[in-house]
Amino acid sequence: MAGIFEDTADLDELAEALRSADAGERRVAILALADSGLPDAVPLLASAARDPDSGIRLQAAIALGSFDGAEAADALTKALTDADPAVTRAAAESLAELKDPRNADVILPFVAHPSAFVKEAALRALKELRRPEALKPALDAMRDPNAAVRIQAVGVIGFLKLEESVPALRSAASDSDATVRRAAINALAFSQAPSSSEAIARALDDAEWPVRESAAEALGRSRSGVSAKDALIARLDDEFWQVRLKAIRSLAALKVRAAAIAIAHGLTHPEPNMRKEAAAALGELKASEALAHLERAADDIDADVRKNVRWALSQLG
Amino acid sequence: MPLANTPTSVPVVVDNEKCIADKGCTVCVDVCPLDVLRISDLTNKAYMAYDECWYCLPCQCDCPTAALTVNIPFLLK
Repeated sequence: MAGIFEDTADLDELAEALRSADAGERRVAILALADSGLPDAVPLLASAARDPDSGIRLQAAIALGSFDGAEAADALTKALTDADPAVTRAAAESLAELKDPRNADVILPFVAHPSAFVKEAALRALKELRRPEALKPALDAMRDPNAAVRIQAVGVIGFLKLEESVPALRSAASDSDATVRRAAINALAFSQAPSSSEAIARALDDAEWPVRESAAEALGRSRSGVSAKDALIARLDDEFWQVRLKAIRSLAALKVRAAAIAIAHGLTHPEPNMRKEAAAALGELKASEALAHLERAADDIDADVRKNVRWALSQLG
Repeated sequence: MPLANTPTSVPVVVDNEKCIADKGCTVCVDVCPLDVLRISDLTNKAYMAYDECWYCLPCQCDCPTAALTVNIPFLLK
């Protein structure tokens, strides 16, 4: 942001403006402090986060997200318990923007806070900081009754990419809440641990299709995903086309040529996305055994499908 | 671009009670990609100087006091 704030980077002047009785002037001072980018602006913004006016506190919480360091983290963690929900939401958003791993020392104690919202926000902020000290509190948070807290705990553990945390993620893949199970599947895939594929493959039989969809997609990214190729081929008959589509994509990524004819059946699916992916997958697999299927699909009603079919045919040589 | 002679009918409507441009705020003017917003010399509040809008909404979203409303035409909604 440029404009008048370029001329108002005088912190003494802005500190004075923050003491103004006029809320508008205090708000403009916060905008100018955020615009200055100066580390010395943080203590001023931290004090503005305690302003009696909730609109000013909200502005300060937003502004603190563009800074980093322990002082900003401290002010934002305190703002997580603000009386105004808009301020707490802004503080949670800003806290997640801070990327200095040293902030973890300030944030970690809040994982044990009685409020589920604060716990969730603290875990979310810890995720990308990747501090090993966060593992124990995150493992404890996996037993939290609130699913949103458990999802963030799974995220913290997933980002750490530690082999010893895989059992906890495997157990989260059987959580009672489908969104937690889905997060666990994604975390297991992200961890790239050799022992994760089995748990991901099991999730292909989950009762909820979004979990099966995530599992089908995750196996395509997993180094050992090819070990689950039969389970993935079986998902080509899933009742939800979204799951079938991810299975097709993963089978192509894993170069499972044996699935070519089963994938080719997707070329006649009523959903154009399915036909498009099936054509692309057959091209990636260079599946000459599917030539007849591709030729029949060359006049598909959808232009994107026709384009992929042409490309796939060019790959068959 | 045509001058906005009838400010009440332009897409970007400013609530002068909420606008803090008179305190030095220029956020909406700074973020507008078409540069059609100005601070009035008369009222010291933001206003739409040119009747041209992409309905891109940063002015409405970034306004610290939620003083701006962009009225998107029905057919664009």
